Amino acid sequence: MNASFRPFKGFSRLQWLLDMAAILAWGWLLVQYWLNGKMNLLLHPNYIWLAYSAGFFLLALGAIKLLQSLRRSRPPAEQLQHMALFPSGLSSLILLATALFGLQFTPQPFASEMALNRGVGETLTLTRSQPQAFRAAIKPESRSLTDWIKTLNVYPEPDAYTGQKVSVEGFTIHLPNLPESHLGIARFVITCCAADAYPVGLPVKLPDGDRTAYPPDKWFRVEGEMITETLDNRRQLVIQAKSLTDIPTPKNPYAS
Amino acid sequence: MNQLNNALTLFFSLLVEALPFLIIGVLFSSALLLFVDERKLIAVVPKQAFLAALAGSLIGFLFPVCECGNVPVARRLITQGAPSAMAIGFLLAAPVVNPVVFWATWIAFRDQPEIVFLRIGGSLLIATIIGYVFSTQADLRPMLQPTVARAMLLPRRSGQAKLGRPELAPLLQSGTFFLGQSEQPIQLDALGAAVVNPDLARPIPERLRLMLDNVVQELRELGGILVIGSAIAAIVQTSIPREVILGLGQGPVTSILAMMILAVVVSICSTVDAFFALSFAAVFTTGSLLAFLVLGPMVDLKNIALLLTVFRGRAIFYLFALAGQLTFLLALLINFYVS
Repeated sequence: MNASFRPFKGFSRLQWLLDMAAILAWGWLLVQYWLNGKMNLLLHPNYIWLAYSAGFFLLALGAIKLLQSLRRSRPPAEQLQHMALFPSGLSSLILLATALFGLQFTPQPFASEMALNRGVGETLTLTRSQPQAFRAAIKPESRSLTDWIKTLNVYPEPDAYTGQKVSVEGFTIHLPNLPESHLGIARFVITCCAADAYPVGLPVKLPDGDRTAYPPDKWFRVEGEMITETLDNRRQLVIQAKSLTDIPTPKNPYAS
Repeated sequence: MNQLNNALTLFFSLLVEALPFLIIGVLFSSALLLFVDERKLIAVVPKQAFLAALAGSLIGFLFPVCECGNVPVARRLITQGAPSAMAIGFLLAAPVVNPVVFWATWIAFRDQPEIVFLRIGGSLLIATIIGYVFSTQADLRPMLQPTVARAMLLPRRSGQAKLGRPELAPLLQSGTFFLGQSEQPIQLDALGAAVVNPDLARPIPERLRLMLDNVVQELRELGGILVIGSAIAAIVQTSIPREVILGLGQGPVTSILAMMILAVVVSICSTVDAFFALSFAAVFTTGSLLAFLVLGPMVDLKNIALLLTVFRGRAIFYLFALAGQLTFLLALLINFYVS
């Protein structure tokens, strides 16, 4: 052991090591997620800077504390008094273990299974966060899927959009309440982080009338025009697809 | 397998979003602990109980700390002779009525700005009411832990001796004294100074070093709780069937009760609890989210441990019961009349 560690006795030395390891591991985790793009799957792009800044702060904090410990021969004699739910050693251990696991973990973008679990919808229910932005002047074919949903929220009558051109991107989802000739095209919308991701989507009437050629969770650009159909005992806006083009999963799969 | 991956993605997304705010909160609370003299505040607070409670509730804007940082500050306020209404108002409102929490809640709920303002307004209202109720107990000492009650009268001489101040025999100091009240003579005009934040006497470099030590300590303690809280949110989100959550979350009364229990159990820090609540925003009523955001910072399991360093069990029970009932009423009003 390093000579400067000698006066750190038993538990306090272990505690100190755990603290330093946890802080540095979390700092590295946040910076690494930013560098390799994993952060895109976790956060809204607006807040990614907060996360990597926190990472740099933690790395700096760890470095400063390490330098201090090399200069000083004992751990701080007087700790400010604290109370916590569980012992501090356990707390550091939880943090360290989580960070080490996080470094190995690759988050997956949410897909159709999650969408079915959360209930894909063309309307935003009362309790759901309600996007306020609305651009009415936009040309129909340049509306994204979320633009369509926002437009529908403001004026839900499907007939108002019949015949308008559509070109939207999203992942496929086999909704159980739709016939085999239809599938859903959906995207997750996030306002803050993946925790509040909720799916929005529209039904698509396929040109060849068979959805088995389009497995769930594949990304497509759907082009066609809007029609009104009664599906699942409800009159609703449906995309009559002319073509579905395979596209790669976007780097940032969430819409905002 | 997919479900596990979803749960982990959710878990890490909560953590990476919340951690920066936890760091900001911890930095503020550590700086306050070592650089701010609360006596100056007490001097300007109005004497009238209701106004004192309101002023105490608003002081959070100057002390941006979460519920873990505010208990030590409240304890110092009490020992330095703050009116009980002010101290209680501060204790309950400061974790919410402050700029860091406002910012975090705004980021989480920027699509529902009403939640942000209802949270701040609701916390302010409830804290002021409870502060006012506690003002009927002019002398807080029967409700305090004996050590804190004694600190209200007796100088902490051992603490000052450590700082290198000469330890004079009490009667060699000038001033007015009470004799025979306790083991030591009590210096009348030094009561305030006796319990001043002892760290303010340290030189700045030492204070900075202590501040960093405190940052590490608080990050460790609160970070551990954040990890547990995020794990609970992720598990609830992905493993409990949607119908069950929807059934619970859409009922105007059951949703409030469920979120109140969750707030007490999860004990998540107020600087980051908005992100936790956000993961329930899609299925829970607005009132219940508000109940979580208002009650959590006032009452939770972690707080019990913290509050027991200041109050006796009976006082904590009153605090919790009042806060719980008022929060429930507020959330119910929101569910029935606003949302």
